Amino acid sequence: MSRISTEQIVDEVTFEVERGKIREFARATHARDQVHTDPAIARASGFDNVLATPTHVVVAGHHRDQRGFVESLGLAMERVVVGKVRWEYFRPLTAGDSLRGRRRVVSDERREGKRSGQMRLITLATDYVDGRGDVVVRQSEVLVERGERP
Amino acid sequence: MRSAIPARAGYMLQPRTVGPIALTDIVRFAGAGGDFNPLHHDAETARAAGFPDVIAMGQLHAGMLGSWIADVFGVEHLRSFEVRFAAPVNVGDTLTLTGEVTEVDASASPPVAVLSLAVKRGDDVVLHGKATVAVAS
Repeated sequence: MSRISTEQIVDEVTFEVERGKIREFARATHARDQVHTDPAIARASGFDNVLATPTHVVVAGHHRDQRGFVESLGLAMERVVVGKVRWEYFRPLTAGDSLRGRRRVVSDERREGKRSGQMRLITLATDYVDGRGDVVVRQSEVLVERGERP
Repeated sequence: MRSAIPARAGYMLQPRTVGPIALTDIVRFAGAGGDFNPLHHDAETARAAGFPDVIAMGQLHAGMLGSWIADVFGVEHLRSFEVRFAAPVNVGDTLTLTGEVTEVDASASPPVAVLSLAVKRGDDVVLHGKATVAVAS
């Protein structure tokens, strides 16, 4: 099995940050702050439009082919779980933003698992860049592929 | 931008309780986030994978934890948020979102608080979290 070279771009998404999607996502995650749902309150708080909730870029799932992506990394979908996810914020994500996210491989490691043989850990990072070329949010995630049981 | 709130090391956040998680909550999140893995809506697929019923996607409770922190501190003050998934969440689970300020870097301008976070089902931690937020001096 070949190792994925680091810094390789494994997928790319582009999408608009929409007010309606922010509202749906805020409701689904039980957010109560009306800065996510009421443009007047967002403006009174000093923003151009409503603000997205912290994990909003997860909506990129709508624009991705997760199975195809996992297979392109040479991973077996049924043995893959997401271990960790981290978001780093450079400014509040706002309705009306246009984002481009390029997902790249940061590291690809193998470790001996306790029960199921060799595990593979792939760390990926996605910089979500706005129309001006500035990074708004960086998402990092660690995918864990369990070994095949003997 | 709204004013940051003050925080000191040792400050325990007032927990938020969510649930019991209904299948509708999971499906609502699937639609919002675009996660259509059948493990999260099709009981037969979930059972074939060894679960008693559909399980929630980790991003559901990760998102709830993030939105709760944003409600408390203001989303514009959040600097980072991270989660580590420890156990699957099932339909019917009641979750408690908890957090504590473990340290405040007062030398930063504005000061930055480090939060240690957890999503619990009873005494079991199903998700470990950490965040950094700008706070008032």
